[in-house]
Amino acid sequence: MRPTDTQGSILNYQRLLNFAIAKPKVIYSIVLMLAVLSLAMLPQITIDTDPENMLSQDAPARVFHNKIKTDFLMRDMIVVGLVSDTSVFTPETLTTIAQLTNNILLIDGVIKQDLLSLNVVDNISQLTDEQGVNQGVLFEYLMKTAPTTTQASIEIQQAVKRLPMLDNTLVSGDDKAVAIYVPIIAKDQSYIIAEKIRALATKLPAIEQNHLAFHITGLPVAEDQFGYEMFVQMGVAAPLAGLAIFLLLWLFFRNFALIIAPMVVAMSTVVIIMGSLIGLGFTVHIMSSMIAIFLMPIAVVDSVHILSEFADRFKSGDDAAKTIKKVMGHLYKPMLFTSITSAVGFYSLMLTPIPPVKVFGAFIGSGILLAFVLTITYIPAYIARMKPETLAKLQRAVALMEEKGRLANMLEQLGIFSVKRSKLILVAFIALFAVSVVGVNRIIINDNPVNWFKADHEIRLADKVLNQHFAGTYDAWLVFSNNNTEQQTALDNFSKVLNGANNSLAKTTISQAYQQWLSNNESSKVSFFNQDLLITIDDFSFSASEKEQPWLEQLYKISEQANNAQKTFTDPKMLNWLAKLQTAIVNQGDVGKINSLTDIVSTVNRELNSGDDKDFAIPQSSNGVAQTLLQFQSSHRPHDLWHFVSQDYQRTLLWLQMNSGDNQHMANVVSWVDNYINKNPPPVDVTHQWAGKSYLNVVWQDAMVSGMIDSLLSSFVVVFFIMVILFRSLKYGLLAMLPLTFTITMIYGLVGWFGKAYDMPIAVLSALTLGLSIDFAIHFLQRVRELDVEQQSLRLALKAMFQEPSRAIARNAIVIAIGFTPLLLSPLMPYITVGFFLASIMILSALVTLVLLPAILTLLARGNDKSTTKI
Amino acid sequence: MMNNVNKYSKKIALSFALLILANTSPHAENVSLERTSHSTKKVSDIIDQANLASYYAGEDGSTEARMIIVDENGNRQMRQFTILRKDEKDLGDQHMLVFFSQPSNVKDTVFRVEKQLAEDDNRWLFLPALDLVKRISAGDKRTSFVGSHFYYEDVSGRNPIEDNFTLVSEDKDTYVISATPKDPQSVEFSRYTVKIDKSNFLPMETTYFDQSQQAIRKMTVLEVKNIDGIPTVMKSRISNLSNNSYTEMQFRRVKYNLGLPDNIFSERSMRTPPKAWLN
Repeated sequence: MRPTDTQGSILNYQRLLNFAIAKPKVIYSIVLMLAVLSLAMLPQITIDTDPENMLSQDAPARVFHNKIKTDFLMRDMIVVGLVSDTSVFTPETLTTIAQLTNNILLIDGVIKQDLLSLNVVDNISQLTDEQGVNQGVLFEYLMKTAPTTTQASIEIQQAVKRLPMLDNTLVSGDDKAVAIYVPIIAKDQSYIIAEKIRALATKLPAIEQNHLAFHITGLPVAEDQFGYEMFVQMGVAAPLAGLAIFLLLWLFFRNFALIIAPMVVAMSTVVIIMGSLIGLGFTVHIMSSMIAIFLMPIAVVDSVHILSEFADRFKSGDDAAKTIKKVMGHLYKPMLFTSITSAVGFYSLMLTPIPPVKVFGAFIGSGILLAFVLTITYIPAYIARMKPETLAKLQRAVALMEEKGRLANMLEQLGIFSVKRSKLILVAFIALFAVSVVGVNRIIINDNPVNWFKADHEIRLADKVLNQHFAGTYDAWLVFSNNNTEQQTALDNFSKVLNGANNSLAKTTISQAYQQWLSNNESSKVSFFNQDLLITIDDFSFSASEKEQPWLEQLYKISEQANNAQKTFTDPKMLNWLAKLQTAIVNQGDVGKINSLTDIVSTVNRELNSGDDKDFAIPQSSNGVAQTLLQFQSSHRPHDLWHFVSQDYQRTLLWLQMNSGDNQHMANVVSWVDNYINKNPPPVDVTHQWAGKSYLNVVWQDAMVSGMIDSLLSSFVVVFFIMVILFRSLKYGLLAMLPLTFTITMIYGLVGWFGKAYDMPIAVLSALTLGLSIDFAIHFLQRVRELDVEQQSLRLALKAMFQEPSRAIARNAIVIAIGFTPLLLSPLMPYITVGFFLASIMILSALVTLVLLPAILTLLARGNDKSTTKI
Repeated sequence: MMNNVNKYSKKIALSFALLILANTSPHAENVSLERTSHSTKKVSDIIDQANLASYYAGEDGSTEARMIIVDENGNRQMRQFTILRKDEKDLGDQHMLVFFSQPSNVKDTVFRVEKQLAEDDNRWLFLPALDLVKRISAGDKRTSFVGSHFYYEDVSGRNPIEDNFTLVSEDKDTYVISATPKDPQSVEFSRYTVKIDKSNFLPMETTYFDQSQQAIRKMTVLEVKNIDGIPTVMKSRISNLSNNSYTEMQFRRVKYNLGLPDNIFSERSMRTPPKAWLN
């Protein structure tokens, strides 16, 4: 019943093997050349830590986000916070803020005109004379220079409370914290700029003298900082993993000359894969930065098999080349299959819609295959060339290893237990499985890039403190756009006037513009009556003859009216509806504050009128709104308006400040808003869409969850078919799938029961588990079947299984698990998570294989026929 | 502190005005002259003449203005208004009315200004949709003029008393003058240079620099036309050099010496525009 060899591939491999043994130098040169070539690529490395890249460039949500970012000139912001034990409204603290702000404004890469801080923003207030008589409205800087008296500081405090755009954004509601929002020209400069700001802060002794705590946060900083630490991480963790594996191998074989071979395979695999990843122009993302650490342990596993078996068979005086040929002939197929199944597990990640995960899956999958090729060529070539003395040493080492140790005893006990207590084991596993399924259903899907740092990281601390005081440092944007209603009457009138005009350059040009718009009307939803048209017509009225003026004037009037009619977001009905929506969202709880057009309009309107709260309202006509906004624009920061409304007033943006970056909260808000709008439809036909980083995170996380399910299911099916083909048996195919099914369910059950959020690193674990734990099942079942045939008894076969074969499985589980442990030393949470779970997965799946499979085999055999143990 | 500055500038402005009247310019404590050049004029005279050419053409004047504001994304917005101006005397106080006509939702919005060299300008605002006349007061004059890149001060004229001037260079066509503010806290620039056309004394290009000596803002005259013998800027542009956004201001139907009566520069005209003078 031994699975028949596929002769073709074996023969082909035989030829390759003969060649490798005969011409080792060719193999060495090829490996060396590839490695050197790949090493040369490494300096071109570009790090990518932008969570936005979790979505592909053309993902609709991302395209929309970036369009909104450009159209509304929304910037990536670094948030600097100073927190006091008492009030920040003292001359000293305000002076410090002003100094720090002025210094930050001098940093290259800071967008000065959009920086928000107390000393660069405007105040609008009532001007009263000494008698308290109203003298008009006063526009001025809120705090051009820091006040010198307590009284003046308190006046600033009172002014801020009256400016909804600033209150709880620039100064916290409890007056204990003050913020500076630093917009930067590019995300990838945020680490450098953040470092410069930190340096500026340390140079300001006033911060310490006034007992101010300095904090810096914001998603760009977190991302960029993460990239920086990721780089460090790669430089530290990968070599550490290499060292751990080296030490383990030494423990197993006690022979430096020998363990150099698997180390060479591991190193070459890592270097070639990373080199080609970088050389092919892929960025190194948080996922791909883990490739090295993943590949190293996986790459040595096959070598460990070869070395063990070689040491087993090789007798003093034998021809090393002949022995290795035999060993390779024997191991080629299981190694091929385990490599293919592991690769399939990782390749299946390419089915997810998340680009970094795809790259990760593709390169690890290829790395596994490369490691296999290197193992079956380089290792035999190396061993065949080894000196007899070294080979003798190897034998001694293996003999040492074969001696009974604690591991061997434990495994023997485990074997006896699995066979004796097969029913109990099965019941226990089914119970465990059920509990795990419940756990899986408890899984909370959530991610938050700030939580990628450990809880005591300065970024996490800043995040916590600033979000305690302020409305929130996480942004989401809710964008409303009017649904361009066809302005047919205006279009008709327009073309009537145009057609009635005498031929002229003006007529030709305007007609052309009109025809052009008509022809791509369907594809583009842009209204014809836009500012550009108005300017074109007005330009002609500068140059055209007297005779042409009347029709140009008419045309202008029609166009201007139509243009004006589209300004949905000057409509008081609409703005009042938005104001209500805002209040409702904030009351819902997940959103700390919303900044929007309605606040700007109401604030200016209040000050233009009495200055009393009763006038904090939207004017009664669209013209009233427009005129209020014209006043707002007569400030030092007229452009601030365009963050909240488009220049054609057809779109508006609500800036939601949330005090948590958890996707879960964002998702809540999104569905809550949908629900609200359904129940309270807007007075004008508008659509709403989301943008902003917090929202993007939700989108890619959703894509990841469904993508991972696809990936897992498809690789499950593929691996199952490979198993059926390998074992030429449906039963064994099914059996082989059992350990990984249990392991995956238990691991995710554990995640669910522990309340660990299902985030990106957790999501990719499924594929890893599948790819790795199938190895154990393959080795186990293959050996059991061989032994069963040899011993003519399943009981004896299983007994034999718990000698050398089980030790090989356990050893490999330990190699891989220990190889991943350097990840635990990382300052970054995703690495720790992956390290911890991988180690657990390895141990768990080895255990499941060693306990569950013998139990089921025993039960199956009993069920069949008690006398025959043949399967 | 603000009061002190005001008092100080008041005094200087007064003496400045008196000296202009006397048509002599011996007060050179704040205005220096580059001895190296072959300049025949004192820098203060150049500045005065430039000021005169830019803001005091004729006894009075009216013009239709069109502003096109272009943001860093290339979006364009248009605003149109008519300006009526009357001088009390050359280089002295002025009266100004600005009537908005476009976009139509701000039509009939009116600004009224009493420009006063000796103290802060008086400014009023009429918003027809809110039926509201309001006096407005500003901390400084470097706020945007209705959302454009022009500051209030670019429209009304910066008082020369605020700066120290140095003649940097001079060729047969142009004076290049550098100006530094006397009160650096009051402005967003650290200095500016202005190129003045010798033929008509119009400042053709002004570049503003920030504290790190980077050029941040630039005014360029794009078109000059002779109207009733008065060289007049017909088109100019102010750019924000940090993001290449800009505003172009164009004038049409420029008229001088209309004999605008004093009484139209009143609150009454804000609610009821003097139609006769607006066409």
